[in-house]
Amino acid sequence: MLSWSSEHNGDTVDLGSIASGEGLVGEHAEVLWRFASACGQRDDAELAAARQAVVDAVDEAFMVDAAAVAANFEMMTRLADSTGSRLSPSHVEQMALTAGAMGVADTVSRR
Amino acid sequence: MRTDAAECDDEGPRMTGPITSLKMLGVSEAATPPVSQSPVRYRYSMAVAVRKDLVDVHRHAWEHIASPGSWWTGAQRVRIAEIALGAINADDPLPPWVGLSSSDRYSDDGVIPSTAVDITYRIARHAGTITESVYESVTTDVGELPYVELCTVVSMVAAVSTFHRNAGLETPALPTPKRGEPTGERPDKLAAAELNWVPVSAPADQVAAVVQAYTAVPSGHEVTWRLGAAQYMPSEEMVHPDWVRRADGLTRPEAELIAARVAQLRECFY
Repeated sequence: MLSWSSEHNGDTVDLGSIASGEGLVGEHAEVLWRFASACGQRDDAELAAARQAVVDAVDEAFMVDAAAVAANFEMMTRLADSTGSRLSPSHVEQMALTAGAMGVADTVSRR
Repeated sequence: MRTDAAECDDEGPRMTGPITSLKMLGVSEAATPPVSQSPVRYRYSMAVAVRKDLVDVHRHAWEHIASPGSWWTGAQRVRIAEIALGAINADDPLPPWVGLSSSDRYSDDGVIPSTAVDITYRIARHAGTITESVYESVTTDVGELPYVELCTVVSMVAAVSTFHRNAGLETPALPTPKRGEPTGERPDKLAAAELNWVPVSAPADQVAAVVQAYTAVPSGHEVTWRLGAAQYMPSEEMVHPDWVRRADGLTRPEAELIAARVAQLRECFY
């Protein structure tokens, strides 16, 4: 979805940047990556700072929208993992490329 | 919360149940204020304006959790939600191979079976470690459709609680369970799916795996996708790479950047 929507908008995304935070593309990409990272981790001070950075970069409503998207994927990841959701065969090859770029083989679970 | 977004300071029901200390679930009470014994109040301690559609859908999800489901009573569903919330907020979580029910953090009063206690905690905190053999083992005990319903509750709790934490807001207390027996609601016809472990509403595999995953529990499926529409985007808009909720809001690539980063941190590579 990220690659597809970015290409449609004239950008090429290095999916490795999702893991590293380096080489991100887009005006607000760095503050959003920091915020999304903080949402997914346990450091409350960093979350507060990252949240404020989004507000400062754009505004509070933008931060709320970003917080909601992050929350949605806290929901969707549990949905997908608990129900054994998998991609259709036609998407597996694309998934393999994406997974490699995002460093799946280096994760703890690496199922 | 500022009232330009929504009027939402009404009182709701109170959290109940034997989990009287967050420490029982490994949560530092000093560091994690979201759960309280006070009435549900959609009145936020910080001055953050939240869109009314978000407030409404989160409140609806809480009410839904408190209601009898297809296979679990309201009390059982709220217990599932309590365990999920505790797992999500735990500063010192149990590892995935340790069952909450066998730990000293849980006092078993029989509201839900120990298998449900353990899988609730694991989905809430370690969903990436769930395998098909885990699924098969759990569903042998609790049944496939009750398992799906349990998953809907856990994932809704994740949505509501993490939104509030992300935005710097206090998570509303869990609601008091509503009386009533499980409805037994199910689709007219179920089917085994190629794209999921869980059974789905027939015909299977006509839509993406995540879209059909909860269809065996219609009410949970409906509330989940209402949450998705408010938090992310309406499902019918997903094919439109230019879709934005409002001018000057998140662009589609910005939303997908957040989605990809959260999924990567959760080690979910669907």
